[in-house]
Amino acid sequence: MSGVIDVSRRNPDRLTLLQRLYIPEILRGMSVTLRHLVRNLANMKRLPTILYPEMKRNYSGRFRGKHILKAREDGTLKCVACYMCQQACPAECITIVAGEHPKIAYEKYPVVFDIDMMRCVFCGFCVDACPKDAIWMTRNYEMAFFNREDAVYSIDRLRETPEEIQTHGYGYRPYYPGDGTTPPTDASRLPVLPGSGERDRLREGNVALPDRDLGPGPLNAPSQAARQQAPKST
Amino acid sequence: MASRTSVADLDLPTVTVAPQDWPVLAHFLRDDPGCQYDLFLDLCGVDNLRRRGQPTRFELVVHLHSLSRNNHVRVRVAIPDAEAPSVPTVEDVWPAANWFEREAWDLYGIAFPGHPNLHRILCHDAFVGHPLRKDYAPGQRWFFAEEDLRMPEWSKKTDVEVDHFETQTISIGPSHPATHGIIHLVARLDGERIVRAETMIGYLHRCFEKMAETHHWNQVIPYCDRLNYVSAMINGVGYVRTVEKMLGVEVPDRGRLVRTILSEFSRIMDHCVCIGANLVDIGALTNFIYLYQNRENIYDLIEACCGARLTVSYVRVGGLAVDVPGDFVPRCRALLDSIPVFLRDVEKLVDANRIVRNRLSGTGVVTKEQAIGWGLTGPMLRASGVPYDVRRARPYDFYDKFDWDVPIASDGDNFARYLVRMEEMRQSLKIIRQALEIFPSSGPVNSDDWRVVLPPKDAVYHDMESLIYHFKLVMEGIRVPSGERYEWIEGSNGELGFYAVSDGRGGPYRLKVRPPCFPNMAAFEKIVLGGTISDAVATLGTLNIIAGELDR
Repeated sequence: MSGVIDVSRRNPDRLTLLQRLYIPEILRGMSVTLRHLVRNLANMKRLPTILYPEMKRNYSGRFRGKHILKAREDGTLKCVACYMCQQACPAECITIVAGEHPKIAYEKYPVVFDIDMMRCVFCGFCVDACPKDAIWMTRNYEMAFFNREDAVYSIDRLRETPEEIQTHGYGYRPYYPGDGTTPPTDASRLPVLPGSGERDRLREGNVALPDRDLGPGPLNAPSQAARQQAPKST
Repeated sequence: MASRTSVADLDLPTVTVAPQDWPVLAHFLRDDPGCQYDLFLDLCGVDNLRRRGQPTRFELVVHLHSLSRNNHVRVRVAIPDAEAPSVPTVEDVWPAANWFEREAWDLYGIAFPGHPNLHRILCHDAFVGHPLRKDYAPGQRWFFAEEDLRMPEWSKKTDVEVDHFETQTISIGPSHPATHGIIHLVARLDGERIVRAETMIGYLHRCFEKMAETHHWNQVIPYCDRLNYVSAMINGVGYVRTVEKMLGVEVPDRGRLVRTILSEFSRIMDHCVCIGANLVDIGALTNFIYLYQNRENIYDLIEACCGARLTVSYVRVGGLAVDVPGDFVPRCRALLDSIPVFLRDVEKLVDANRIVRNRLSGTGVVTKEQAIGWGLTGPMLRASGVPYDVRRARPYDFYDKFDWDVPIASDGDNFARYLVRMEEMRQSLKIIRQALEIFPSSGPVNSDDWRVVLPPKDAVYHDMESLIYHFKLVMEGIRVPSGERYEWIEGSNGELGFYAVSDGRGGPYRLKVRPPCFPNMAAFEKIVLGGTISDAVATLGTLNIIAGELDR
């Protein structure tokens, strides 16, 4: 804590004669600007001006640019279509339609994953919300488009490509190298559990699931066979 | 009257009053030696339609400050008439109430009998309905045509003769390079002097408060960035502090220090933009470039912390989005060295320059009494000689531990505001230097209360319980206990207050921003009287109007 200072006392309202003459002050001002000019000419490489688009600003590794969807080792998207990013988005720019994945370890996957870049405010809340490490951001900020349809990025433009990372680099992400976070296990590396292949096999062969008799109950409607076999009670 | 009035001690002393008693109480609060609530801060409506346990549908919530006794008070005017709510105006008690009452009329349809100019202020004139009422369906569109633009009644009559000149009415703006944003000034000129003026705002209104009501507490943070977009960090800090106080969450020292340091850097940026743009308006372009170099360097630091330069979205309720990078302290120290160099250059160019002095000294004068009556805060109030700074009057975070001064000036003119802002930047540097000294080199920046803060990603990926907390927070938002809270901090333009009402859901029931620009802009049409148009341009620059905050 400290006091209050009156700054108007330091600058008396009346200027001195020399200052009122104006020319000396002009020269003093010129010396300031000339010093900047000389210094800038001597350090042309360190000029603060960035000649975009030939030169680009060097953004940090946390820059919040265009999103990417991360992929598993087998090329499928890590996204499990849990809708958390869609819910967290304050601009409501993410649209997800979930589908059931034939491979049981993946359970769900996004049939549609659209980000409307015209609505997006690049706040990074989707990255924070993702529990599966599936959405990151890049340092790519050049997303001009000529019509509104082009502004909606679908999976094919959101999927991570090595070229994009090569050009722009990763931006905002859920964890950074060296912060001690272990990424979630890649589901494509998970061991196949006994019995879990049944559904896949049936799907591939287009075989209908057997109509099992689950017995009568409030949740399980009696199967066709059970209804036929059951003695009529009334 | 006594039987109809009650006093409660909530987060602030709260007086509940009936509409017919409000003017009497207003006079008492302002004039009684035991009250002396002379600074009118905020007035807003609340619609209790979907809130349980409230006696009336509409209420008016007023926040006042007493400069001599240094405390806040809240007045709640409970309006029994839900069909045609109306409250007598207090514009004659506090002139600052003028625009706030217009806003309450515009957004809630609360009428103020006796108000001199009760027209819409944020919504346009062809708007139908009152958008912040809970039964107003959002998403309706009202078409606005040019002929719907309301011009003040007095401006339509151009044939009034004053003295020997015929007066002339001109429009400055809405899109004028000197207005720095979209602001419409209608001015009547007698010769070269402005004899009457009226400002019309709302061109950048984007329903911040209505949007907040449909979002979670954390989701409001990106919207806060767009209030005062020149110092976005401070808005976020002010907002999350309100929510944290409602929750009773404590943020670790390191997190609060990061907020303090970046807020002070944002204040420097804001003043740089204000002074730079103001000097450009009066013809001094070089300063703009020197000051913007500072801003550029600060933006680099902020971008390295949070990933965006302008719309930072860095704070979260209970902490920060992500810890600062490893080179945070050295980068701050480098900035501390580079900023004063540019400030010195600007002072060399400006302080003794006769043109600047002639343009700024003695123009746009606001006396101490006027400044208080108009509800000005921040550098505007301090340049008129009132040492009211929230960081000093009610220290938050670490401001009471630092050694710094509140700069004031006695003249109240444009040049005094320039001097106050220059000195404030120096004081901010001083604060940052001391903050860096006590800055812990490691430690958490976030609260460990996982009902409020997202659990660390490592835990979310591998631990079921953390994942459940994560899921609940993302899907349902933070559950803030029912109640209300007014929290205020020192924004770069003055007192930035957030009045939040919670009904226990995951998002705000009502969120009102007290934008420091709003009373400043309301005073503009009175400050410019008697001056020339070129004085008005210089004055508008020193008011530092940020349209994003003004129009919300």
